[in-house]
Amino acid sequence: MASYMQAHQNLQAKNGQMAMPVHSSEGDTTIPVSFDNSNNANANPSADHIDHGVTEAPYERRFSPYDFNGGTTLAISGEDYAIVAADTRLSSGYQILSRNVTKLHELTSKCVLGSAGCKTDIDQLRSVLDINMKVYHHNHRKEMSTPSVAQMLGNTLYYKRFFPYYSFNVLAGVDSEGKGAVYSYDAIGSFERTPVTASGSGQSFLIPLLDNVIKHNNRNDEDRPLPAEEVVEIVKDAFVTAGERDIYTGDMLEIMVIRASGITKISFPLKAD
Amino acid sequence: MFGPTGVTAGILDIGTRKAEDERRRASAQGSGALCPAKFLGQPAAFDIPNVPDPAYFCRSNFASACGGGDSNQTVKFAKGTTTLAFKFNEGIIVSVDSRSTMGAYIASGTVKKIIEINPFLLGTMAGGAADCSFWERNLGMQCRMYELRNGKRITVAAASKLLANTVNSYRGYGLSMGTMITGWDETGPQLYYVDSDGTRLKGNMFSVGSGSTYAYGVLDNYYRKDLTVEEAIDLGKRAIYHATHRDAYSGGINNLYHVTKEGWTKIHSIDVNDMHYEFEEEKKNAMSS
Repeated sequence: MASYMQAHQNLQAKNGQMAMPVHSSEGDTTIPVSFDNSNNANANPSADHIDHGVTEAPYERRFSPYDFNGGTTLAISGEDYAIVAADTRLSSGYQILSRNVTKLHELTSKCVLGSAGCKTDIDQLRSVLDINMKVYHHNHRKEMSTPSVAQMLGNTLYYKRFFPYYSFNVLAGVDSEGKGAVYSYDAIGSFERTPVTASGSGQSFLIPLLDNVIKHNNRNDEDRPLPAEEVVEIVKDAFVTAGERDIYTGDMLEIMVIRASGITKISFPLKAD
Repeated sequence: MFGPTGVTAGILDIGTRKAEDERRRASAQGSGALCPAKFLGQPAAFDIPNVPDPAYFCRSNFASACGGGDSNQTVKFAKGTTTLAFKFNEGIIVSVDSRSTMGAYIASGTVKKIIEINPFLLGTMAGGAADCSFWERNLGMQCRMYELRNGKRITVAAASKLLANTVNSYRGYGLSMGTMITGWDETGPQLYYVDSDGTRLKGNMFSVGSGSTYAYGVLDNYYRKDLTVEEAIDLGKRAIYHATHRDAYSGGINNLYHVTKEGWTKIHSIDVNDMHYEFEEEKKNAMSS
């Protein structure tokens, strides 16, 4: 019900008593309702008659097309590399559906997409991106460059502005000069090229750590460019930390190091609790 | 959802009646396999949820609303801001912050809220980040098509009208966009405010966003038409600083542009934190002298 007034209009008087129509798969019925608390069980609670808010004052339940399947991804850009990492846990509510589902997707030989959120929306988004990239390849006789992929992903997300993909993406790759490029997105395609980014359920645990250690924010000691191997170790530590505090993060960590020469994959086990 | 299938001569017809009729004919023939190309800026080209009242559903579940407007939504979109622009004798100053928030989380401190539509037109971003950047990029495309078709640059009035008409067709669907379109055309410096309710206003000074009230306080106090360029830059800088100081949804870096007859130039990019200490020094010196 959108408002009290609308609800009031929907009440039917039945046998002199106000009744709310309720639809269910077992047929339609009405539930007696009053707005002055006279027959509200909460007014006179007793051991066998506690109203948990479901029957006495019914509210509408509705099918939701979205589910949150958890997980965390992060991406870091360097001088001549980009690193993208994600855990492999797939959850729904309090259940773990699988410990071995990848969140990373290679779009080109120089560009990887990491997504967390609703798995079915992510799969569809990837199909759409793959098709668009094939079409681009056919029309232009070359692979899409990473900044172009970034813009296309932003547009693809915005085309579903009024029924969004529930997908929180990070895009990592090397641009045409071989420099690391990382882009962060919101659900409807607002994007920005950033040095580091993280998305998903563990985002709030990872970003502050990366802001300090990788971006060197709020630090007074000497800043130095970090080599890829060192950053990989930092990423492993970061995910272990996130896994300690986020129930949706864990099981296994997949890391991809993207360079102009190719993509290296690393797997690292995380706690399964 | 599938992109254009090829770059043919038809590409120059984007936005014209001819293309619209083609598209309508193609979809009417049920050639679903062709999946009509996404001609941007045309209403009804977006997927809409299949519910009885799509506008109501969209603005209650997918709104980019500012402040706490989207607190009941599970998925929050990036937004927040203070932006300002004012006209004076030497042109237009446009000054913005760079914070982007998703609920209480600061999604980014380095957002480019001034969008360079073309070398003579600037647009600012306030409200929904994706809404602003998408529609202003779309506006840039429409401006370019205008140039190609008419052999001259589009006026600021026309550009702002194009944007206002576009967002007006999505009125009620939960778009959130408060932007200022500014530039220098044959009629001189122009500043227009356009928002997602369909408002379009011409003016000499605007401030848009959650921190706009703080910026207006500073601007209204010190604004004069005959400011020098240095004074105007200082005013734009200070107004943003004060807004970021008091508004939680604004902060980061102050980007400032100056629009002149030759086009726009970027003046500076200063962290508002550094400005705080600079002004503190100033206050201390003023007090001791």
